[in-house]
Amino acid sequence: MANENSSIQLVTNGILKENPIFKLALSMCPAVGISTTVMNGVMLGIAVLFVQVFSSVTISLLKNFIHPRIRIPTYTLTIATWVTVIDLTLAAYFPAAYAQMGIFVKIIVAFAIITMRLEMFACKEPVTASFWDGLGMGLGFLLGMVVIGFVRELLGSGAILGYDVLGFKPLLFFILPSAGFFVVGLMMGFFNWIEAFYAERKKG
Amino acid sequence: MKMILTIIFRLTVSCLIAGTIMGMTFIVTNKAKKANEFAREEKVVYSLMGYSHDNPIPDSMGMHEVFRYVVTEGDQQSIGYLVPMGAHGEGGGFSFIRISLDGTFIDQAEVVLSEDKVREIGDRDAAIQAAVGDSRQIRFTDQTIVVTDHGKRLAYLLHGKFPGFKTNIAVMLALDPAYSMVGLEVMEHEEDPGLGAEIEQDYFKNQFKYKPFDKIKSLEVVKAPMPGEYVDALEGRIDEADALKIMEQYKDQDIYALTGATISSDAVSSGVKGITKKFAYRLDILDNVLEGQQIEVPF
Repeated sequence: MANENSSIQLVTNGILKENPIFKLALSMCPAVGISTTVMNGVMLGIAVLFVQVFSSVTISLLKNFIHPRIRIPTYTLTIATWVTVIDLTLAAYFPAAYAQMGIFVKIIVAFAIITMRLEMFACKEPVTASFWDGLGMGLGFLLGMVVIGFVRELLGSGAILGYDVLGFKPLLFFILPSAGFFVVGLMMGFFNWIEAFYAERKKG
Repeated sequence: MKMILTIIFRLTVSCLIAGTIMGMTFIVTNKAKKANEFAREEKVVYSLMGYSHDNPIPDSMGMHEVFRYVVTEGDQQSIGYLVPMGAHGEGGGFSFIRISLDGTFIDQAEVVLSEDKVREIGDRDAAIQAAVGDSRQIRFTDQTIVVTDHGKRLAYLLHGKFPGFKTNIAVMLALDPAYSMVGLEVMEHEEDPGLGAEIEQDYFKNQFKYKPFDKIKSLEVVKAPMPGEYVDALEGRIDEADALKIMEQYKDQDIYALTGATISSDAVSSGVKGITKKFAYRLDILDNVLEGQQIEVPF
């Protein structure tokens, strides 16, 4: 399988065809909880991207060393290590952003998307393919977070990246966690609609 | 059996590698983190006092830190203050002054501690412990910075923490010698963005500025729309003299609550009220003792 898939295909697969948030519907907790502004989305997206790529590469490198009976604990250990690294780094060099999203960085350990990619892909495939797959998944997650954050920040507080663009707050509701589900639902529908649209065009 | 041993061995190796990576990251980042925190605090102190990095605090001004401890001896409790000694600029060492709960002087002990180690909580605790003896237990509670100019008190800077709507809110306040508010800065909070997080906005936190002590003692939150001119003054959109006039006019006004975040607004206002009242009470006692015992301090 790895030979058939080029690196570009692996990356776009994660961004579009198997987008973690809109297609696989994994890791919805952060997508709903933290994506209240674009900046939060970007920061958490980058953290997940980092953890995903490093964990995928680590597991792929060590796949012969990991005993099959204890592979899940090893995945968790690997993820926890890289999460701690990014957590300490963000806390040290980006204190302002970290203050807002500190607890969400720590729960990356439990993100379904990362464990799932390690189990489905990295433990079977070579290192380079795992790297591209991790990059694709991370970018897909980053994209999802930014899009949701954009919609919620614009509608909820009338601003983009903290700059007031509308001058008023259209719907305060969008800042609240429950609105995250609405935005994710609408985005899922939108993604599926685009896909259906192109499939239709190809056919006829 | 062999499988179990293999698993144990491999897991142990993995854990050791993971631990090494995490430990190395911690060592690398810890220094930067501490420097960051210190820089942020310094910046806040400067801005509360009306100075910036380009406009530094003159030499005649001094910042003297006072640390408050609770001392337990058996079932007896007393309050201990670690204060610098001697006049400003002389560096007369530190002293630990114990005061009983009803405000009378108990004893004073010399603490051997250098100027740069006083900020490190571990070193400080060890030095005080050595001064008071092993039979007493000490517990650090809070610290205050007394700002002086030519030996006269200019302001007090206090750290404070109180529960907000979600988690604790950490603030830093500046009071003048009559305990009126000079400024408020929100250091740390986890309130909802767009709602409670607005407590760090100028139009909310600057409401506390210039409130006299008498007003702070009975500070409440009102749910009413904020007058437009007041918002302009708080946000600094009009020139300083006019803004001051408007602030003066509203100085006996209660705090206007944030829209959709009454609990956060209330938490900040009662937190500030509590910190200020307690501080005023404690400092009066400390001053009484210092005067009564003729202890010379730089503030």
